[in-house]
Amino acid sequence: MGTIGADIVIQILREQGVDVIFGFPGANSLPLNDRLMESSIRHYLVRHEQAAAHAADGYARATGKVGVCLSTSGPGATNMVTGIATAYMDSSPLVALTAQVNTSLLGRDAFQETDIISMTIPITKHSFQVKNIHDLASNLREAFEIATSGRPGPVLVDLPRDILAAQCEPAGPVEETIRNGYKNGSDGREAIERIARALNQSERPVVIIGGGVKLANACDLMGDLIAKTQLPFVTTMMGVGSVNAANGLNLGFIGSHGFELANSIVHQSDFILAVGTRFTDRSTSRIDEFAPLATVAHIDIDPTSISKNIKADLPFTGDAMEAIRTLIPMIEPRDRTDWMNRIAEERTSVEEKVPDRGCGPAGTFIRRIQEALPDDTMAVADVGLNQIWTVRSWRTRTPRCLLTSGGMGTMGFSVPAAIGAKIGAPARSVVAITGDGGFYMNIQELATIRYYNLPIKIVVFNNGHLGMIRQIQNLFFDARYNSIELGEGTDFVAAARAFGIPSSRIRVDNASDEGIEALGRTDGPYLLEAVVDSENFVFPIIPPGRSNVEMIFGQAD
Amino acid sequence: MTVEERTLSMLVNNRPGVLSRIAAVFSSRGYNISTLCVAETINPDISRITLTSSADSDFTEKIKKQLYKLVDVLEVSDFSGPAFLHRELMIFGVKVTPETRIEIMRAIERFGCRIATMSQSYYILESTGSRPENEAVLAYFDPFGVEEMNRTGSVALKKIFEAATPRT
Repeated sequence: MGTIGADIVIQILREQGVDVIFGFPGANSLPLNDRLMESSIRHYLVRHEQAAAHAADGYARATGKVGVCLSTSGPGATNMVTGIATAYMDSSPLVALTAQVNTSLLGRDAFQETDIISMTIPITKHSFQVKNIHDLASNLREAFEIATSGRPGPVLVDLPRDILAAQCEPAGPVEETIRNGYKNGSDGREAIERIARALNQSERPVVIIGGGVKLANACDLMGDLIAKTQLPFVTTMMGVGSVNAANGLNLGFIGSHGFELANSIVHQSDFILAVGTRFTDRSTSRIDEFAPLATVAHIDIDPTSISKNIKADLPFTGDAMEAIRTLIPMIEPRDRTDWMNRIAEERTSVEEKVPDRGCGPAGTFIRRIQEALPDDTMAVADVGLNQIWTVRSWRTRTPRCLLTSGGMGTMGFSVPAAIGAKIGAPARSVVAITGDGGFYMNIQELATIRYYNLPIKIVVFNNGHLGMIRQIQNLFFDARYNSIELGEGTDFVAAARAFGIPSSRIRVDNASDEGIEALGRTDGPYLLEAVVDSENFVFPIIPPGRSNVEMIFGQAD
Repeated sequence: MTVEERTLSMLVNNRPGVLSRIAAVFSSRGYNISTLCVAETINPDISRITLTSSADSDFTEKIKKQLYKLVDVLEVSDFSGPAFLHRELMIFGVKVTPETRIEIMRAIERFGCRIATMSQSYYILESTGSRPENEAVLAYFDPFGVEEMNRTGSVALKKIFEAATPRT
């Protein structure tokens, strides 16, 4: 059995440190699936290719390593598209391998052929279609290099069946692979000096921590910066959990579902140090009314993120870790008692205005879930009300303890991403928190969890509706509800049992400890259906087209 | 913000799919590409793409950053303005009658056009110049009866050569 293209794929994956693939085979991927049998790489068979991409993404978010997913050609590849886009929006390093029809059949509308390269151009950092066996090793190496360098993201490698099956020599040693066109520049020290000067002069500064701080592995340094300078900070939703600070400096996350205190303080600030955020509309709401008094210093690895949404007065394009390390010794102590007092006063008034973090019984319930699970538990939130409840209520202790689909807002993300997270970090406890709407979207992955006996806990908030959409219709469409009722026809407890997963149902607002305890003490997987009132909305919320400080606090507003 | 015509010149790897990635950068941000020319440079591994697009003043810097994120884009330059030589080739067919022949011939000479091919009643003319020059040529011949026209869009080069500039 001589070396074939599939062996090269495995050789490069091993060389890149890959030991896990999430995938679903098909006729065109079979040369690779066949050779995987003899390799040390574990191939996890999911039940839908979308879940393969989400699982690889969850693996990447939980470990910081590259997640790898594999599909066959045609429908297998197109099914992965949503997962690839999700990784792209949240800058998650992913290598998506798609099998393809034989090169001789390309462009002939062959069986299970699709032009996946064209389809994924807008949602990948780059992609390769390997048409020559001699390019296979270098294309794969480049894919890993691109996925992890600069702002991370997904790269797709399309592998025609005949390339996978072609006889060849094993790949040679790593050569200089990266092309001229892909460089990560970095602004010089002067840019950081300018930022430091402006920060030192500011009276009402605030730091905005984005998801890029985690991606740059700069959380510890950022924690040092906050500790040394005693600067108040907010995060974006993707930045939640980056820095632990129990001393009142953490004001929560900003944006349309963020904390009123965080939004208000950013609005009043005269200086913003933003690191690793692209100022998405979910964070800023109305751009023209965002932080109107502030000089904005923006540190980001991605030059296109600088001044894309919010104009950066003091930009620094480059690595966040390097930037923060340079910045810390330049920051001078300064008395900002007035500013800190104002923040403390606002905090007190907000806590009165928004009890229970605005999540109602669902928020309390999530904290009880957290208490029942080990300290290092990773929560993987889905999208919708359950996501906002989780992000507002889960006490984040480490950077990777809360995973969610922030940029893309992909329903159905949590269960498959939890699979990837658990496989990537087997020593940690993992809980997927989802709503009934999102759960339906990848419910088939319960079979994967059962088959591999993954001890993943699943909490399904069941309000019989698409809750977030119901809240929006309630508030902004005169409570004219349409196409949001899921009904109570599905017995999720019975469904879980059908997949072989123990489960129980409790009511959120009057929950006995029994179900929560069962979730915590069961060794294997467990599903808890948490019945929640359909009026359990989340407040405050920013109406569409309004600014971050025009939050509303209830239906009566 | 004022909208104006900008010319971008870029050097890219000469391989399949590069143009569609570049086009996607423009279309996904709502920019229309007005003209587009692609050809190999002296180095067959590298192509030069010259394109024009009407956009606001922020456009060039923003789109340059986006283009630089593409793996196959090697260099992007703003070739707008008088420091650059802009040329496009236009060919067009014009009706000719015994009454108009002399005037048409004079105009061909005056404008520096070339007759690419001809019959008794129909000439296909070739005109090379900047876009405004070609617009003027077309406007002049239009009353005679221009039947068809095809043009390449701009190609451009920097007017001043630097000794160290590679021959691409």
